[in-house]
Formats: sequence, structure tokens, C-alpha cells
Amino acid sequence: MKNKFFTISLVAALMLSITACEKRLDIVPLQSLPPEQGLKTESDLGGMLIGSYNGLQSTSSYGGDIQLMADLWANRAYLRFRGTFANLLEIAGITTVSNVILKDNASAASLWSNAYRTINTCNLVLANLNLVTSSAAKKDRIEAEALFIRGSLYFELARLYGKAWGDGDNSTNLAVPLILTPTPSEVSGLKDENYPARATVAAVYGRAIADLQRAATLLPSTNLHYATKAAAWGQLSRIALMQGDYATARDMANNAITDFEGRGIGLQANFRDLFYNYINFGGVAPREYVFYMRVTTQDGTNGLNTYYGQTIGSIPGTAGRGDLDVQTAWVNRHSATDVRRSFFLVTNRRLTQKHVDRFGHVPVIRLAEMYLTRAEANFRLGTTVGATPAADVKRIRDRVALPEIPAASLTLSNILLERDLELAFEGHYLHDRKRLREPMPGSSFTNGPAWNSPRLVMPIPQREMDVNKNLVQNEGY
Amino acid sequence: MRKSILMGLCALLFAFSGIAQNTTVTGKVVDEKGVPVAGASVLERGTKNGTNTKNDGSFSLQVKSGATLVISGVGFESRQLAASSGNLMIQLTPDVKSLNEVVVTGFGSQIKKEVTGNIARVKGKDIEFMPTPSVDAALQGKAAGVYVNSQSGKLGQAVSVRVRGSSSISAGSEPLYVVDGVPITTGSQSSYGGATNPLVDLNPNDIESIEVLKDASAGAIFGSRAANGVVLITTKKGKGGKTNVSLNVQTGNAQSSRRVPFLNSEQYAELLLEGAKYIDDFYGTPYTDPFSETVYVKDWMDYFSYGQWTTDPKKTYEWQDVAFQKGQYRQVDLQLSGGNDKTKFFISGQYLDQGGIIIGNNLERMTARMNIDHKANDWLTIGLTTNFARSLNKRLPDDNAFSNPLQSVALMPMTPNIIPAGQPGAGLPAGTPPGDPNIPMYYNPQISIDYGRFSAESFRNFSTGYANIKLLPGLTFQSEFGMDIMSQQEEGYFQSQTVRNQTRAVRGVGSNRAVFITNYNTNNYLNYTKSIGKSDINATLGMQYQQSRNSSNFVEGLDFPSDSYQRIASAATISGGSSSQTDFRFLSYFLRTNYKYADKYLVSLSGRIDGSSRFGANNRYGFFPAISAGWILSNEKFLSNFTPLSFLKFRASYGIVGNAEIGNFPQLALFTGGAGYAGIGGQEPSQIGNPDLKWETTRQFDIGFDFGFLNNRITGEIDYYNKQTEDLLLRTNIPSTTGFNSVVRNLGSLQNSGIEFVLNTQNLVGDLKWTTSLNVAFNRNRVTNISGQIIEGGIARLPNRAMEGQPLGVFWGVEYAGVNPANGDAQFFRNLKNADGSIDRSILSNSQFNQAQRVALGDPNPDVIAGVTNNFSYKGFDLSFQFNGVFGNQVSVYGMGQYSMANMIYEDNQTADQMNRWRKPGDITNVPQARYYFGNGNQPSSRFIVDGSFVRLRTINFGYNLPSKIVKKAKLERVRLYVSALNLLTFTNNYPLWDPEVNADSFDSNIAKGNDFYTPPQPKTILFGINVGF
Repeated sequence: MKNKFFTISLVAALMLSITACEKRLDIVPLQSLPPEQGLKTESDLGGMLIGSYNGLQSTSSYGGDIQLMADLWANRAYLRFRGTFANLLEIAGITTVSNVILKDNASAASLWSNAYRTINTCNLVLANLNLVTSSAAKKDRIEAEALFIRGSLYFELARLYGKAWGDGDNSTNLAVPLILTPTPSEVSGLKDENYPARATVAAVYGRAIADLQRAATLLPSTNLHYATKAAAWGQLSRIALMQGDYATARDMANNAITDFEGRGIGLQANFRDLFYNYINFGGVAPREYVFYMRVTTQDGTNGLNTYYGQTIGSIPGTAGRGDLDVQTAWVNRHSATDVRRSFFLVTNRRLTQKHVDRFGHVPVIRLAEMYLTRAEANFRLGTTVGATPAADVKRIRDRVALPEIPAASLTLSNILLERDLELAFEGHYLHDRKRLREPMPGSSFTNGPAWNSPRLVMPIPQREMDVNKNLVQNEGY
Repeated sequence: MRKSILMGLCALLFAFSGIAQNTTVTGKVVDEKGVPVAGASVLERGTKNGTNTKNDGSFSLQVKSGATLVISGVGFESRQLAASSGNLMIQLTPDVKSLNEVVVTGFGSQIKKEVTGNIARVKGKDIEFMPTPSVDAALQGKAAGVYVNSQSGKLGQAVSVRVRGSSSISAGSEPLYVVDGVPITTGSQSSYGGATNPLVDLNPNDIESIEVLKDASAGAIFGSRAANGVVLITTKKGKGGKTNVSLNVQTGNAQSSRRVPFLNSEQYAELLLEGAKYIDDFYGTPYTDPFSETVYVKDWMDYFSYGQWTTDPKKTYEWQDVAFQKGQYRQVDLQLSGGNDKTKFFISGQYLDQGGIIIGNNLERMTARMNIDHKANDWLTIGLTTNFARSLNKRLPDDNAFSNPLQSVALMPMTPNIIPAGQPGAGLPAGTPPGDPNIPMYYNPQISIDYGRFSAESFRNFSTGYANIKLLPGLTFQSEFGMDIMSQQEEGYFQSQTVRNQTRAVRGVGSNRAVFITNYNTNNYLNYTKSIGKSDINATLGMQYQQSRNSSNFVEGLDFPSDSYQRIASAATISGGSSSQTDFRFLSYFLRTNYKYADKYLVSLSGRIDGSSRFGANNRYGFFPAISAGWILSNEKFLSNFTPLSFLKFRASYGIVGNAEIGNFPQLALFTGGAGYAGIGGQEPSQIGNPDLKWETTRQFDIGFDFGFLNNRITGEIDYYNKQTEDLLLRTNIPSTTGFNSVVRNLGSLQNSGIEFVLNTQNLVGDLKWTTSLNVAFNRNRVTNISGQIIEGGIARLPNRAMEGQPLGVFWGVEYAGVNPANGDAQFFRNLKNADGSIDRSILSNSQFNQAQRVALGDPNPDVIAGVTNNFSYKGFDLSFQFNGVFGNQVSVYGMGQYSMANMIYEDNQTADQMNRWRKPGDITNVPQARYYFGNGNQPSSRFIVDGSFVRLRTINFGYNLPSKIVKKAKLERVRLYVSALNLLTFTNNYPLWDPEVNADSFDSNIAKGNDFYTPPQPKTILFGINVGF
């Protein structure tokens, strides 16, 4: 009797416990959210826009690599790579005669994948603008910031993975795939268009210009450390320079300068104060920065610091691998009194002081560049939009204790040398050589590769080639 | 021999006392060590007349004269001898005839000879007091088909265990560990350095037995969690009778099992200058030009030697001496067991303090365990086991960190270990501020040891309570509730001196991370046993529910007032913080039926339904059935006259099991919130969803024989198995132009098939006893279909790859073709497939590397694993040793070799063999010409793939039991003195680095195996111990 009772009650208890557990299998994650929960409101969309900045800030994008490539590539005569990252060694080691970038170069792969990850986030923002209900102005701003980031990335991708503008036919030369809509959230949604072919150089430049033009229209003049009108104009002036469209380059640079001067902002008085943002200024960015990637102690990494910087015992807050050794040949390009000539630290390397601050911001566009672009374009076109070339060059030279070059004796090469020295190690060198059709620097013993050498174009990443049959590899890989 | 003499004596006595009608036999039953056996049964053969031995092993029994006594005790071979008057001393030998053993099968147990699945059993005794902190490492070479690779000599780090090969590409491949019915937490909780091994919290000396469920029939009762095998760990319980106390103390030390020869200063300078000369020649730079590479490298050698090189170019510093240390080992174990008919208990405690072979590495563990079983009445038995453990692991950074002490081998040999007199910071380790922080060439790892610390402290509680109720005759109900609570705190602080490595440590950086894992499990099942005529039925029906939650939080601080303040309360800047939580749950129902007919025919059916929070909404539940059958041929009449054969069973099984180790929430489309910018929170898409996602499915067929010869003096098993895994959870690549790199799909298949062979022999019995047990397993692993996906892991550029038609994780790269004798160029095979299918084996020069096709260069999975153990005993002496061997696998040394075995492309010191580099036209060598910063043979190629086979004297243990006369005088039961060693000898096929039993923790994944990257070798440990029983 007793046993029977136990049998029945225990089996009943067992069954009860089963049904009680059934529902417990439905649990949802807490750190990450399904899209239907993560993108419901205007503030969710704002968070997604911040996510695009986070992507742009990656050390694979404007957090470092995009700028690093331009100064490292085939620049052995001026900047020697002393590190052990084979991916960077290959890029640095390009000469006319030996060494190639391998197809699976990690920098080529991460720069590409990070850019598209960020572009997808931008596309998701752009596809969900209807979530912004508070004001039309806010909706415009969010749209414009997403377009600014997307346009900037397409421009950088086009000039790294495609042939230079004007090197052959822009309408047949291949750049990178153009992705303008968000990727479906579930695997069943992946279709042929998610396996895209490369668009032409002309198409990608065109898209970048369209994105940035609309961004320039919609963006505000001041926007904390986010994209502004001036930032969009700055990018448009760069694109125009690459295209040899000096009138546009001049006008866009002039727009940015006018905007800044209208708010009482000119060049930083002291060249040194453009850098050491955290060590000397607690993270306050110089007003001269038109656009930069903000680094704080908690967020963001200064990827340029990683390679250009080094720990200097006497300057707390410095860090870095000390991989990049500025060569004497570069120093010798400066005049004796040039402040920038001594803006180096000599350890077992010669380091530029621009990137030794561990938590320094990563400059992308500085006002000085706008002056130099306006000066060059005005000079070439024989115009004086905004100011005379001599006046613009004087601003730059005054700050670094160099004498004025009178308008009468100012030459194009004066302006271009000034540009090289002022913007050194900030991501211009390679692209300036390409647009100026100049070879990369040689030493007294050897020549550098020509501006249109296939060795100065990134390989389409091996993993992309492997997974997407619609892609065509670049020449020489 | 002694046995037969004894028997003869007994026979004589019997002859004399044959006239007597009745006689009283008294005696004492003891075990092989002379310890009394309580509760052994003493029976007059052929009658029901019998008794049990008392606590002191004594008995007294009236028997008919001429009777034969049958003495049997649990865990001993039963013995027969003629009854005789007088005081008999009867020694029982342990039951080593494994066929009579009871094996744990999960939710029950079964007599081994009736088992129709494949279960490997390792007794706790076989791994007792081994100096491996975790039980998985101790299993190495002990069970056929269980491949254990300890991976790294760092203490408490993850061990790789593969049961019958790797059966997954992207999902977990480690077996499921179940301790006393509770699936425990075994995933690494490390946030610093390599993965850790939470099994360290389980004291191996508390283990009674380990069963590894290898085939589908054995595993199906664990359904979606059994595809990688199941390791059932049963802990020790009290044995009734006299209270036994055992104290074991052992101490010794551990050292690196090998040193690797590197260049001395003269050789180093020779190679470096040769490389610089090549570059200067290439560019036409005069060697004396201030901008020449020659001048540059000379300056370097001077700079990094604190100026010593010019004055004393021969002075060499051995950086391996900095990295390695002699690790001290101390361990104390205390165990008590006893009880009476109704209540039995077991109590144990351990203190372990193990020093690593690498500076700064240490593991300390304290455990306490208590177990009580109580028989409340004739229908209710209850029990509780609880175990507390605290472990403190002083951790090392991962292998791919400049602060990994073993990376110091890359430093120039002319760099002094200690800053020389007259320099700032004299007497401190090289590179320590106020000395020049940029010397040595790379960060000196010693600074992080001296001025930094990182430790993981873990508190762990395993507890299980059960009630067993006899409901009806043959029907019992068992309810178990268990938990595994893990609380781990990681605490680190790096002082400002480490800033070259810890770039945030300008004014100190401190971090603290806590993980709290609660893991609850309940098993409720009915067991029914019934015999009807010649049929025996055993059935189990039940349910299991498990829920696990992992919560963690983290905080990091910078800017401390000084290095005297090392807690984050003093940090001026809180630079990082987070908290997170993740859960998983399983709900399962299971059924198993074993049927036996006439002790000859065996059939078993089992199945499990598993539901899990990890599976997609469209595939929430899976069903996992298995069937197996056995035929005990030796019980058939036609074999009963074949006397050499004592046992023969044929068995076969087939079933389906799954793998649910796919992480939490792989099925969902997700945005992640960790995408902030400049102090504002942000989100971005992180995962593409797949609502159809489900477990991986493995169908396994197993066929085998169990045999025993010569009265089971020779026993063994032979098995063939074939495991087909499909619906692999593949992280399939998609174009990264989508914004994602991969999606998880059930796609593809792989297979493992193999043969396992086990042989146990009693070679000598008598005074000198010698037993041997051997296990050998062959496994063939093939990825059969991954739909053209490229799935890679490991070290970039020479990765492990999953490829169709190849074993999982083959090394994928270009084939090296040696050195061109004419110019010293590295050369490579083109290996391009021609239109006709043939392979273009033409040789490419160094600069044509990009044209060389990549091919599979080697396989990290061994073809054969084997273990052989020999035990000898003679009087008070005993000796046992185990060899284990791993054959037919390759190791990639590219990770380290591209820097240190690459004819001085960089300034890293080179292994001594690089002196064989090409120097002049005509030189025949495999080492290309030194070209400073010009790639020449440092490219990823088969130059860096080496044979990983080895044979190792894994354990050796020599002991002496003091004579009982002496021991008794001291009022003790036994005293054993011993010396033991781990990894005393290792034989390799010219392995170039420290240890082929390796896998770099920085790159470790399912498919990334067999990579050596400055990875610490296994320790060679020598211990002295004493074991006292009272």
C-alpha cells in the first residue's frame, strides 16, 4: 500500500517537473539584441550611427591604417619599417625590383572588411531614417553623418584598391564593390547581390562625391567631434585633388576655411600643440582639427601611435612599438630653422612626435591642409579665391619659424614641399605622389616605384577572392 | 609459486584432519598490502554455510571437514582453498579481471561483461598522486582512443582531449564531463593569457573511477551532448568497517624537459652582418657609409648590449636561463573513510603547491570533500557529497605576447640579462626603468614578472544529493540534485616599469574581473529490473534538466598614486568596466532498456530527447536513439570445451548522438552594444541569424570483441568504429562586403574511423608480479564536405584549414623546395594543377612566391596513439611505469620559426641550426642566405612543418612498503616510501623546439592544433613521497 502510494506520487512529481521546465528553454540574450528589439526607436538609430563612427575609428580605418598605408608604402628612403609585422614589412618593403605584397596581406584584408562592416552599419542607419520623428533637422543630421562616413570610406577604398584616377580608363578600371543597402539579418535573405562584383573607379568616386555632397548640404557647421560641413568639404577637396579638378578642390577647401574663419578659428598658434593631445591637454582636441578620430582612455586606439610611437621614459604617457624610423633624408628636406625639422625624438629610432601620445587623437583633416590645398589650386589656376597662394603658404610657414616666400618667387614646388613637410605622417604621401604622377622616393642608390606601378595598389584580399567568384584580382597578384 | 605451495600445504593438512567430522576454521582475510578486508564473505563451497569477516578481517566458521572455503570480497578476485584448522592468513588479490567490474554507464551501472557499448574505464588508483593538476591530463595514454594533449607547460591551462578523433569544425570538440551525475562547467573562464582548465578544481585523488563513453550506444543516453564522448567521473565513497586513514606527502621539483640551442654572440653577429652586407650590396651602399645597413646593425648590437659588444664581442647571455626556473612541488593528501552498515562516509583534503617551470607561474590548490551515504530503512537510501576547492593560479601571458617569458629567446645574445654597472638602473633586469626602457630589442619579460602580477583565484563547490527509493521489488526511483558553483576572480596589476609592454601602465594599470557561474542539474529516473526465466530485463526511464548562468563583471583602473597602491579603489581613472550575463538550458528525457537472455544474448536500446535554448525556434527538440547487441560466445556449448578461452563476447552498436556545444544564441540575428565612440554608447550588427540552426549529428557504428584467455590472465578488446558527423555547425564564410565575415549554418560533414586495441596481461604471478596493459588506437579523420567553404584557424598565413578530403586542421601553405645552390634563394614548388590534372612541380624562385599554389602540408592529428603500462611488485617493492606515444602528426613551428628559424631576416636570435645558411655559390643546404629585412625563406612554407611524433616515459613510480612488523610497532597500518617522475624521458624525431606535445594558447581552437609559438614545454617532475595508513 505504502509503496503504491509512493509510486504514484513520485511519478506524478516527475511529470510535473517536466512540464514546469518546458517553458524555460526560451531565453533571450542580454548583451546583444535581436534586430527587432535593437532598432525600434530614434535613440536606437542614434546608437547605430555611433556604431558607424566606432567602425570608422577602428585601427583598420581612420584609427590608423588608412593613414599609415600612405606614408609607409614603398617609402623606404624616408621612413624605414623596423618592426616584425610581415604585413607592414611587405608594404614598406616595396621597391622597383624586389618584394611583393602577398595576396593574404593582413592589412589589406582588415582594412577591407572593417570598411564594409562600417558601410553596412551606415546603410542600416540610412534605411531606417523613418525612426527619427523628433525633428527634420535631426533626421537630416543623422542621414548626413552616415553619408559622410560611407562616402569617406568609398573614397579611401577606391584609391587603395583601385588604380589611381586617370591611370587608364576610369570607367573600366575596377575599384571596389558598391554596397548601398543593408545586408539582410537572416541567412535565408542572402542573395546574389550579396556576392557583388567590383564597381569601376569612376562609379566609386562618383558615389563618394554624391554621398559627401549631400552630407555637406545637410550637416551642421559645428557638431561636437562628429562630422561637420567643413569635414565633408575637406573630403570633397581631397577627392577633387585626386581627380586633378583644381577648381573644385580650391572651392571646397575655401568653403571649409571660410566656415572655420567665420567662427574665429585659424591655425593653432604653436605647431607642437597640435599633438600631445592627452599628455599636455588632457584630451582637448586642437581647434584646427577639421575632423579627427577621438581617443579616450576608455575608448578607441590610436593606431598610428602603435607603430610610430615608442615608450620614452622621460615623457610619461608615451607608448608604441617604435617600428617606424624616420630617415635622415627626410629630416634633410627641412630648412635649418624649421620647427618641424626638430619635431622628432631620437631613441634607437628617429620618431615623429606627432604620434607618440598613447591617448592622442588621430587627426584626419587639419585646417592647414585646407590652406595648402587652396594655395596649390589657386596657384595652378592663377586665381586668388579666399586668399593669395603666398598668403596661405605664409600662414603655414610663419608658425614653424620659416621666412615668408614673396608671391613673386613662390613656385608650385615650394607649395608642394610645404605640403609634404606639414602633413608628413598624416596619410598623404603616397596619394600625393600618385596624383602628381611622381615616383616614390628613391635613395641615392635606387629608384622608387612609379606612381602607376601595380605594386602600389592593394591586392583584393585572398579571403574575398576565395568566397566571392564575382571579384577580379588586381594586376600583379 | 607461493600460492601452489600454500595449496599443497593445505592439502597435506586436509589429509591429516580428514577423519574429523566438523572443524572450526579461523583466520584473517587481508588485501595485497596486508590491510584487513572487512565484510568479505567466507562460504563453505556448495552450501549456504558462511559468514562475513569482521572489521579486523577475522572470521570463524564451522565447516565439515574436507570442505573447501570460497572467500570473496568486493573488488577482489574470489579465492578457494581447503578448510583447515588453525589460524589461516588469507590474502586476496585485487580483481584485475576487468570483465567482472561494474562500470558506470550514466543514470546507472552495468557489469562490464554484459556491456554492449564501448566504455573505457580508468580507475582512480591508476592516476593517484600524479603531479598533473587536472584529471584530463592524467588520462593521457590510459584509455584507448582518447587522445590527450596537454598543449602547454603553463600550469592550469586548457588541455585538449579528443575521443575517437575530432568530430566538429566550429562547435566544441571536448567531451562532456559529468561528475557524480552533474554535467560540470569545463569552459575556460580566463581573460588573460591562454585558456584555463576549470577541471583543476577537482582533486584527482578524490576520484574512484573514470568512464569514457566512446560509442553511440554508450553515449545516446546523453543525446545531443555525447558526440565528442562523455567522461563520467565517479568520486570516492565511504567503505564500511574500520575507519581507514591515509596520509600522503610528496615533494620534489619540476624543470623544463628540454633546452633549445640558440646562437651565441659571435655566431649571431656573423649572421646579422652577413644579412646587412647583402642589402648593402643590393643597393650598392658602401659598408662604411653611415646609412649603410652594416653600420646600422653594428650600432644596434652595441646599443642593445649597453655598449659591451664592441669591447667584448664573445660575451653571450643565455636568455633561456631567465625564462626557465626549477619549480618546487609540495602536496599533502589526507583521506578518511569508514562507517557501519547503515552509514558510510568519506572525507578528504588536499593541499597542493606547484611551481611552474617558467618564472612567475604557480598553482596552489586546497580541496575538501565529504561524502555520506545513509540507508534510512529498507526502502530509502540517501546521500550527499560536497566538495569545496580553492585554487590560486599565478598566471602567465599568452604565448603571443612579448611578456611571455619564453619569448626572451628572441633577444640578442649580447644583451645582458642584468643592466651592467655604470649604467642607469644598474643591477636591475635589462630594460627596467630608470634604465633605458628600449633595451633589450624587445620587451624583457622578466620585468612583468618582477613588477607585475596576474592571478586567478577560483572557489568551486560541487555538490550532489540523492535519494534512492525502492518502490516495488525491482523498481527503484532515483532523484538527484546537483550543482556546480564556480566563482573566479582575476586580479592583475602592472606597475609603471612595465609600460613598454603594458602601454596603459604609465602610472600603473590594475584590473579586476569576477565570473560567477551557477550550474544546477537534476536527474530523476526510474529503474526496473526483472528476471523472467532465462530473461533479464533492466530498464531506465527519466528526465534531466540543467540550467547554467554565467555572469561576469570587470573593472580596470589607471593613474594610481604610486605603485604602492594596487587596488582599483586608488585609481584616479576608471578606464574600463563592464558586466555581462549569458545562460543556457537543457531539458531532456531518456530511456534505456537492457535485455539479456540465457547469459548469452544481450540487446540494449536507448534514446534521449533533448531540448535546448541554444537551438533555433524551428528545431527546438532532437531525438537521439541507439541500439546495440552482444553475444557471449564463451557461454555457448560449442566453445565451452576450448579451455584456453575463458571469455569471448562479440558486440555491435549503432546510434545517433549530437553536439550542442555551439555557444549560446548562435541562431539569432544580433546587434551588439559594444560599439561606442568617444564616450557615447553605440551598437552595430554582429551576427546574421539562422532560425533553423540545430545540433550537429553524429552516426556511429561500432563493432568489437572482448576476450579473455588462460583464466583471464590475458584479456582485451578490439574495436572498429565509424563515426559520420553531418549537419556540422559551420561558421561559413561570406563576402565581408556584407559587413559580416561568416554565418553559422548546419552544413557539411566529416568522418572518423578507427581501430582500438586493448590488451591486459598478467605476465608473472606469485612473489614477483608483473602485469602489462597496452592500448593502441588508430584514427583516420577526414572532412568529407564543407561545400567549398574556407575555414581557417591558427597562425595567419600558415593556418590550419578545414578542407574536403583532408584531415581537420591540415596546415595550408606553400611547399618549400630548398635553397638554390647558385644564389642562396629560397625556392618553392609551383604545385599548380595543370589542365590534364597533373601537378606542375616546377620550382619557383624566392620572388615568385605569390605564384606558388598552397597545398596541405601536414596534419596535426596523430595517426596512432598508444600507451603501455607495466607494473611490477616483489615483496615490499613495487615499480610501475607508463610510456605513451603519439605518431604520425605534424607540428607547425612557423609562428616562431618565421622570426627565429629564418636565417636572420630580423634581429631575433636564431636557433643554432641557422648557422648552416647558404654562403657562397655551390653551397648545398636547406637554410637560405641571410638577407636582413628581405624575405628569403621566411615566407609561410613547409620549411616550418616538422614531425610531431614522440614517445615519452610519461610516469614512473618506484615504491617500497616497510615490513609490517616494523609498521605495526609504530601502530600504523602501512608505510610506503616512493619516488616518482613525470615526463622523465622524451624521444622525438629531431623536433627542433622544446616539446612536440604542444599547442600555442594564443591560437588554440578546434581546428588550430599543433602550433608551436614560444610555447612552454611539459615539465619534467621528480617527486619523493611517503604514504602512511593508520
